[in-house]
Amino acid sequence: MKISLKALKYYVDINVPVEELCDRMVMAGFEVESIEAEGENIKNVVAARIVKVEPHQDSDHLQICQMDIGKEELVQIVTGAQNIKEGDLVPAALDDSHLPNGMHIKAGKLRGVPSNGMLCSGEELCLTEADYEGASVHGILILRDEWAPGTDMREVLGLDDYIIDFKITANRPDCNCFMGVAKEASVVLGSAYHPPVPTYTTVGEDIKDYVSVEVQNYDLCPRYVGRVVKNLRIKPSPVWMQKALIASGMRPINNIVDITNFVMLETGQPMHAFNYNDLADKKIIVRNAAEGESITTLDGKEYNLTTDMLVIADGEKPSCLAGIMGGKESEIEDDTKDLFLECAKFRRDSVRKTGRALGIRTESSGRFEKGVDIINVGFAMDRALQLINDLDAGDIIEGALDCNQGLPEDKILNVTSKSIVDLLGVEIPEEKMVEILNSLCLPTTAKDGVLTVSVPSIRDDIEGRADLAEEVMRIYGYDHIVGTPMRGNVMRGKKLPARVKSDKMKSLLCGMGCYEIATYSFIASGALDTLNLTDDDARRNAVKLINPLGDEYSTMRTQLVTSMLTVMATNINRKIEAGRFFEESKRFIPKSLPVTEQPDELPTLCIGLYGKDEDFFTLKGIVEEIMSLFGAHTQYKRSSETYLHPGRQAEVLANNVSAAVIGEVHPAVAKNYDIDTKVYIAEIKLDVLYAINKRKTTYKPLPKYPAVERDFAMLVDADIPVGELEKAIQSGGGRLLEKIELFDVYQGAQIPAGKKSVAYSVWLRSAEGTLTDAQIEDTSAKIIAKLEKLGAELRK
Amino acid sequence: MKQQLEQIKTAALEAIASAQNSADCENVRVKYLGKKGELTAILKSMGGLSPEERPIMGQLVNTAKAEVDEALSAKVSQMQAAAEEAKLKEETIDITMPAKASKTGKLHPLNTVLNDMIDIFQSMGFDVVDGPEVETDHYNFECLNVPADHPARDMQDTFYLAENILLRTQTSAAQVRTMETRKPPIRVICPGRVFRADEVDATHSPVFHQIEGLVVDKGVTMCDLKGVLEQFAHEIYGPETKVKFRPSFFPFTEPSVEVDVSCSECGGKGCRVCKGAGWIEILGAGMVHPNVLRSCGIDPEEYSGFAFGIGLDRLTTTRYKISDIRLLFENDKRFLDQF
Repeated sequence: MKISLKALKYYVDINVPVEELCDRMVMAGFEVESIEAEGENIKNVVAARIVKVEPHQDSDHLQICQMDIGKEELVQIVTGAQNIKEGDLVPAALDDSHLPNGMHIKAGKLRGVPSNGMLCSGEELCLTEADYEGASVHGILILRDEWAPGTDMREVLGLDDYIIDFKITANRPDCNCFMGVAKEASVVLGSAYHPPVPTYTTVGEDIKDYVSVEVQNYDLCPRYVGRVVKNLRIKPSPVWMQKALIASGMRPINNIVDITNFVMLETGQPMHAFNYNDLADKKIIVRNAAEGESITTLDGKEYNLTTDMLVIADGEKPSCLAGIMGGKESEIEDDTKDLFLECAKFRRDSVRKTGRALGIRTESSGRFEKGVDIINVGFAMDRALQLINDLDAGDIIEGALDCNQGLPEDKILNVTSKSIVDLLGVEIPEEKMVEILNSLCLPTTAKDGVLTVSVPSIRDDIEGRADLAEEVMRIYGYDHIVGTPMRGNVMRGKKLPARVKSDKMKSLLCGMGCYEIATYSFIASGALDTLNLTDDDARRNAVKLINPLGDEYSTMRTQLVTSMLTVMATNINRKIEAGRFFEESKRFIPKSLPVTEQPDELPTLCIGLYGKDEDFFTLKGIVEEIMSLFGAHTQYKRSSETYLHPGRQAEVLANNVSAAVIGEVHPAVAKNYDIDTKVYIAEIKLDVLYAINKRKTTYKPLPKYPAVERDFAMLVDADIPVGELEKAIQSGGGRLLEKIELFDVYQGAQIPAGKKSVAYSVWLRSAEGTLTDAQIEDTSAKIIAKLEKLGAELRK
Repeated sequence: MKQQLEQIKTAALEAIASAQNSADCENVRVKYLGKKGELTAILKSMGGLSPEERPIMGQLVNTAKAEVDEALSAKVSQMQAAAEEAKLKEETIDITMPAKASKTGKLHPLNTVLNDMIDIFQSMGFDVVDGPEVETDHYNFECLNVPADHPARDMQDTFYLAENILLRTQTSAAQVRTMETRKPPIRVICPGRVFRADEVDATHSPVFHQIEGLVVDKGVTMCDLKGVLEQFAHEIYGPETKVKFRPSFFPFTEPSVEVDVSCSECGGKGCRVCKGAGWIEILGAGMVHPNVLRSCGIDPEEYSGFAFGIGLDRLTTTRYKISDIRLLFENDKRFLDQF
């Protein structure tokens, strides 16, 4: 809400500098977004008298002026304007001056003749006729001869005002106007508040002979007041009103429209002016739009209406979108003779829904959406009539058509002063509370420790003790609140088990050289296509945003792989030669589509690696550390993810439950991300890992007896996974087997085609005693037997 | 014979003194102490002496032998020490050579800062809880005193997934879930991801993070709120930091305040960081609105409480002086490595 300081001073005495006013308003709950000093963009421009004018020798239109700027020496300025003569007082921008249109003026030469500045037109000073008479004249602005040469133009133009932009919080729509802010300022400054007291005279007659008003939907329009003004005398509004409108960001149009806008800014209550002569059947009907109706609004656009939209109709058709915008047909124009004036309260969600549906938002609809006061409707109408009367804009017909179903009484609240003190923790004397509440126009009395507060409808944000506590506190001053240390039992807070587990996992990942990343939870609708998923892949059943910022952020992700690939692509593209990354975030899996309830949010870990030292097995190593952290027994199965290399991927089972898919990214998928190097990705279901009950660790005695190491080298069919061989060794080794280590796998020269050479070191140990040769030979034989079952040919 | 012994000993000691290396020492040992060595030869030649002279001479020879042996040992160990020293000297390295990278990763800066915050609040007895990111209108708005036609809904542009299902705009939604499942005294923080329809730029992101705090108990006052926030501010910004309340509005708290801390950069004098104000706005807070307590089944006549919401992203960018919030979501390794 932008308000000029001068406009504010009309309603409240302000005897402090503007900065202090703003500081104090901020501490009462009215944040100041900006303070703009009027004319702060005009620098080094003065009123100057033309002492002498001579023609320029080398030009048919330039003139050389000798200017008196209040100093001993005259200043020479060359101008192209023709409307000047010796003796005129004009604005002169001197050397190194700034104009509000952004121009920076410096001394120079015009066709060889030195010119130490520029004479200014009204336009160059961004002035309109409202600011200074003659400002719109083509040529130099001729000033009234009431200033000494050398006077700063800001003083000449009376630019000593400030425009303050207050941020009004959503609970205080009553302060979205001059009077609301002024009332608060008067309380904050402890100075007098003088609201206007509307009076006007009518020309008699009876409004009922002119028009009828019928409200068909009181639910959406609890109050509608109509008045008629005839014999309009349409002309520009006075300068003070135009200035107030401009300061608050509105454009002056004519006296009638300006009065409705000014009253809106002053009282917070929007109004609408209809051309009375255009009203069919001389009827005003407040009703829902009928099926198939449409309206062309003031801005010339046509809208098709639906039956949930409230309109102000005449006897035939909608004439105005209630609270939003008037119709083109009943617009006030320069030749409009008679006026029907509307002042009403429309329900805020009705205005909001209609505005949203049609894509229209106006100063008026914004105010209705925030809420207007039903009582204030009457005041605003009277104030508008007062201005019509005072500005002689027309003849007011006697009588108001005031449609409502009863106006509310003040709400009475009874609250103990102790309960306010208890909530705030500050001992505010009861008399002080009463004084503050009364100053805020909340009539209050105190008896036996109980405050009885009468709350008018304009303050319907006040519902009980907490609201009253806030009213008292913001005026009493928040610096009275002194921090007290935490009371109650001293204890350390707990984390949820999942967070504890996640923290440990992240430490482990960092220890293994992985960097944590953070990416958005929504992705592009087509992102899944980059993974070459099949059409019926379950991950395609993703929840979509109804109102995304764009397709790029439109789909809640059902996997973390695409985000990880994007991050790796960014790093690869920036020539970062290697990277290990992880992200812990959620997958959003809908229970049904379209969604009717919250989707499952499944905690998920994604790991991505690339670089010359990385391969499938470095990724497998990281994954195994994580599995081991959670105490999972891990198995690997070949898998068939479309985004992974068909021969280099695995499903990971944790205690026989599918927990992860790991592998090298399919080159075709990598290409979708412009990745031309090998990248590896694991996606791990943390819900599975978090659910594992890790067995308690118990101590195993350290071995007392020596271990025996035996090597087993063999030829096997090339397609037998080494995992199978390991299982065979394990089962053959039995209780005595301590450790297996694969130390060689070889295929190629000297090995028969279709075979591979595999070599293991195996450690045997007994807890009961040193192994005898017989035990060792027996166990080795069992291992060999198991291996031979797999077709292994042991090499001696 | 005595004289001869004396000469041999002197010669041996000279030879030891002039020995240059271990081979010289070995030669000396063989020449004088060995089986065929000169001192050994003298012992052997004592057969020609009288029985009275023999023990006397024997003792003299043994003393000489011991003397030579000791000198030799001393020489050998001296030479070994010198050799050791020379070797160590040779192994000297240039300690200014670059370190071999230990290759650990880092937490994302948002989580580094979050963990600090969790530590602070845990130590004050706050439990750390979670809530869903996809919320219902009921938890995100209705229970938080923002009914359907309320203008406060416009304060936060909301992403919807269905008519009553949305991406939570505030971690305050978790407040309600907490109050529904726990009974006072309640002391929790809920860190989490929130969403608002803000176009992406240097200071806005449609995805960001908050830490919601909630305390509900008998007799909780606004002074208690300030006390907790002061302690938090002292831990995060330093013990000299001052905390200021400014009245504001949030639908779910009443009274509501914006909380400023004195600028840690200039100590409140005004500088570029605080744009000359001397204060930096860090969070919104207030006393839990009675309607909110009521909607969670807690009697506002019996209990009171306070809540606060801290913007984690803002805290992170100010702590590390990160100029553009987009860097947090770009995940360039060179960026991630700095925290």
